[in-house]
Amino acid sequence: MLNVIWVIMLFSGIVTGLLTGRSKEVSDAILSSCGQAVNLAIVMLGAMCLWSGLMKVAEKAGIVDALARLLKGVFRFLFPGIPKGHPANGAIAMSLSADMLGLGNAATPLGILAMKELSGINGNSPVASNAMVMFGVINAACIQIIPSTVLIIRQQAGSENPGSIIPCVWVASLVSALSGVIAAKVLERVSKVPGGKDGPALRHPV
Amino acid sequence: MAELLSSIAIPLVFLLITATAFIKGVPVFDNFVEGAKEGARTAFDILPVMVGILAGVAALNGSGLVDIITGLLQKPAEAAGIPREAIPLLLIRPFSGSASLGLFAAQIEKVGPDTFLGRALSTVMGSSETVLYTLAVYFGAANVRNTRHAIAASLVSSYAGMLAAIFICRVL
Repeated sequence: MLNVIWVIMLFSGIVTGLLTGRSKEVSDAILSSCGQAVNLAIVMLGAMCLWSGLMKVAEKAGIVDALARLLKGVFRFLFPGIPKGHPANGAIAMSLSADMLGLGNAATPLGILAMKELSGINGNSPVASNAMVMFGVINAACIQIIPSTVLIIRQQAGSENPGSIIPCVWVASLVSALSGVIAAKVLERVSKVPGGKDGPALRHPV
Repeated sequence: MAELLSSIAIPLVFLLITATAFIKGVPVFDNFVEGAKEGARTAFDILPVMVGILAGVAALNGSGLVDIITGLLQKPAEAAGIPREAIPLLLIRPFSGSASLGLFAAQIEKVGPDTFLGRALSTVMGSSETVLYTLAVYFGAANVRNTRHAIAASLVSSYAGMLAAIFICRVL
């Protein structure tokens, strides 16, 4: 699907730029984005090493298993097909906890680790499993208990009560997460795995 | 309380994990380094994904396309109760984290953080995520080419949440 989306993004950006005479801005933006990506990746490199290392220690110490047992019920519904005691359970739990606490620097590396564990269960197939899609969707729904970045910006803008939006954020996040779970569960019936056990080949590979 | 929680969460997690492992006799540092090596490899794998996604987003942001689409959507959106000022944020939020944060910061200065619009934009921003980037990085790291319904379901989730945010702020 990114094969299509990426082309659409580039194409519509470049063509609009040509038509509106903003080609220079488009060109500058594209070129400077590469440097931005490298900066992001370098920050990520350190965080990735740190959290991957720590997760390995947690796994060996049996903490990941303990966490997984705690969340068994919810996980069986959301991520069916993960074997009992598999490190993926714990990795997902850690990643979602970091998300909820708004620990941005920890959440991404932990999320990537969890996705790789899920991919391992899926035989490292280039086609996502239902559990992988569900994990991606829940992560993207971003249930954050304290939206700290937004609160800081509100404070800087001179808000009398920056935290007044927190209940609204909770309700909106909940709506987002629930509709994401429902959408994923409904769409997984339609979007079959090509040649997989879930059904016949996909007509429109996305 | 909340601030305290988020500031001690990481140190506590570190302490809990390393202390438990140490007590159980796990070679803590050896395992840490082994895991960190895998992490470094993953981070390198993600760099090309990041370059690609950020370049696509940059092309969109630089072109002014968002302003054009905002103009087109103004009438139907206002009929549905979505203020015109919220449209650009709704459009770019799922695609670009830095652009939406910049836009949000600029808009909230203009409309005031405690007005209906300021609260609505804050709630939109606080309850949503840069869907495309998150999915690209996660699936890219796992070498997944066919993400099936992930993007569609995430966009459903994103827009349901963001529209809910605006209507909740009208009520609360």
